[in-house]
Amino acid sequence: MSLEVPVKVLRYKSGDGAPRYQAYRVTVPDEANVIDVLEAVWRQDTTFAFRHACHHASCGTCGVRLNGYERLPCIYPVTEALKGRREILIEPLRNFPIVGDLVVDVAAFFQKQEASRLVITRQAEAALDGAFYRRSEVFDDEGRLAERPYNRFENCIECGLCLSACPTMAASDKFFGPAGLAAIDRARQEAPDPQQKSSLLALADGEQGVWRCHSAFECTNACPQNVDPAGAIMALRRDLVTHKIKNFFGTR
Amino acid sequence: MPAPHAIVIGAGSTGAATAHDLALRGLRVTVLERGEIASGTTGRNHCLLHSGGRYCVKDQESAIECIDENLILRRIMPGVLELNDGLFVAITEDDLAFKDKFLEGCAACHIPARDLPVKHALEMEPFLNPKILAAVQIPDGVFEPFRFCLAFLATAKQHGAVVRSYTEVTELLCSGRSVTGVKILDHRTGQTETLGADLVVNATGPWADKIARMAGMDVPVSPTAGVMVTVNKRLNNMVINRLNKPSDGDIVVPQRLTSIIGTTSWTVPDADQIEIPKEHIDKMIHKGQELIPAIQQTSTRGVGAVARPLIRRAGGDEREVSRTFECFDHRRDGVDGFVTISGGKTTTARAMAEKVADIVCGKLGLRAECRTRETRLVSYRLFYN
Repeated sequence: MSLEVPVKVLRYKSGDGAPRYQAYRVTVPDEANVIDVLEAVWRQDTTFAFRHACHHASCGTCGVRLNGYERLPCIYPVTEALKGRREILIEPLRNFPIVGDLVVDVAAFFQKQEASRLVITRQAEAALDGAFYRRSEVFDDEGRLAERPYNRFENCIECGLCLSACPTMAASDKFFGPAGLAAIDRARQEAPDPQQKSSLLALADGEQGVWRCHSAFECTNACPQNVDPAGAIMALRRDLVTHKIKNFFGTR
Repeated sequence: MPAPHAIVIGAGSTGAATAHDLALRGLRVTVLERGEIASGTTGRNHCLLHSGGRYCVKDQESAIECIDENLILRRIMPGVLELNDGLFVAITEDDLAFKDKFLEGCAACHIPARDLPVKHALEMEPFLNPKILAAVQIPDGVFEPFRFCLAFLATAKQHGAVVRSYTEVTELLCSGRSVTGVKILDHRTGQTETLGADLVVNATGPWADKIARMAGMDVPVSPTAGVMVTVNKRLNNMVINRLNKPSDGDIVVPQRLTSIIGTTSWTVPDADQIEIPKEHIDKMIHKGQELIPAIQQTSTRGVGAVARPLIRRAGGDEREVSRTFECFDHRRDGVDGFVTISGGKTTTARAMAEKVADIVCGKLGLRAECRTRETRLVSYRLFYN
C-alpha cells in the first residue's frame, strides 16, 4: 500500500533572496521513512538539495528539523510524522550556517569534533543484549589468529541534532557543543595515560567548554543514538570541580 | 608549467580514492559531486570490508582483489574499521556440501580461513543459529561508507584537491573529438558555470552510462539494485555469511549498534528510480533469521536500496556477473580526454583508483608512481578543514 504525503520544505539558494517554503505532494510506501519522502521530492525537483548517505542512522548526514523537532529522517516513519498533522514540515538544522535548501555547513562542527582526537572505534561490549560471547580470536594483518576484544564504532554519529537543539549553541558559536564535549568525555575514558586525561579535562574547562552549558538537557533529548551528551557534560563538570578542590587544598 | 588539471565526477568511494591517488601523483584535482559525499551507491552499501570469501569459489579474480585491498586498507585507514572477522556458516546439508569448495577457494585466493568447531563458533557468536552445521572464519571487516570517502578526500585536499559537493555536471564540453571540461550546476547557488580540464574521469558508478552519454558514448554498466534492512539491535560482532553460492539474504553485517541484513539483486533501468519491493524487505528479515534467529525479536530501524554498478560481460544473470572493475579509456571510441572507471566494490576502491590513475598519467604523459598502498590517510574530520 502507498501513502500520499503532503510535505513542505524550506528552500533557499544563496543569491536568490530570502528562504521560502515550498509544498510538494509525493507518494511513498506505507512503511516508508521520511528520507524516502525527501528522495521523492528530489525526483520531482532535482534542484532540491538535502544531505543523506547511509539510510540507517550511521553516517549522521541527514539530520533536519521535522515538524519542529530534530530528527534523522532515515529512521523516522512517515506515518509517525503525519500523526495529527495534514502535512510534514521539514527545515534545516538550527545553529549551522545554511548552504542551500536543507543542506547545512558542518565544517565548524567537525573541526570542534576533532579537538578531542577521539578515534571512532571502541571496544565492543562483552555482552550482546544479555547473551555473552566467551571468545574473540581475530585474524591479525599477517593472517595469524590473536586473542583481542571485538571492536565497534562509537555511538555518536556526528549528526549535529544535539547542536541544533541546544539553546547555548544558539547564543554562542564559541561553545564546543554537546557532541564535542561528549567526544572529549569519551576520549578521556579511552586515554591510556593520566597526562592525556588531564589535558582533555583542561580542554573541557576552557573558554569553549562545559561552563557555557545552561543545563537545558535538550541535547540528550534530541540524540538518536543515546549518547547522553548532557550526562557527559555533567560528568566533566563533576570531575573538574573535584580536581579544583583537590588542587585548592594541595592534595592529589 | 602548472600541473595538469583532472576533474573527477563522483564522490563515492571510487571518486574519492581516485582524487587521492591523482593528488598524490601531483595533479591538480577537482572533484564534482551532485549531492552529499557518498550519497549514491557507496553510502547505502553494506559496509562490508570484504575478505573475498563471498567470491572465492565463482569469481576468484574479485576475491583476490578483495583480500589484497582488505589488507592494504587495514594499514592505511586504521581506527576507522571494525575488525572482527566474519563467519561463513552452513545451515543446510546443501550449505555443508559447499564447505570443501569454499575452503579450496580461500586457499587458492590466499584468504586466511579457519574451519571452526560449531561449539567454538557459538561461543564466539551466541546469537548465531544453534543448528549450524559448520562455520569457517575469514578476515571480513566493517567500514562506515561516508567516513571511508571522507578519509580519502581529506587526504586528497591536503594535497591540493578541491572538492565541490552539491555540484552537478550537466554537460561534457568537447573540442573536436576531445573532452575539455564540464558545465556544472551548483545546487547551493542555482548558478551554472564551466570548468576546463586536461582530463575528465567519470567515477559515477551506476550513473557512468548517463555521464558517458553526454559525450555520445555507452558504458556497459547495469545498475543492479539491492535492498538492505537494518534492525535496532547489534546481534553479532563478526560478519555472518551464508556458506553457499551468493543468494538473497545471505549476510548479516554488524555495525555500530545495529545489524544490517542484505541483500537482493535486480536490474533497474535508472539508478535514480528505485522502488523498494515490500517482499524484498520481508525476505531479508526471513532469510536473516535463518542465520540469526533473534532478528525476530528486533524491530526494523532503516531500509535502503541502491544500485550497484555491474559491468556487463557475455550473458548470465546478475548474480553471475563478476564484481571486478573496469576502466574505459574512451579514446577507443574516438573521444580523448575522458576515462570511465566503474564496477568494483568499495573494498577495492583504492585498486580501482590506482588503475585509472595509471591510465590518466599515461594519457597525460606523466611519470608518477602510485603511492596509495603505503600512504596513511588523515583523520576523516580534516575533510572539513
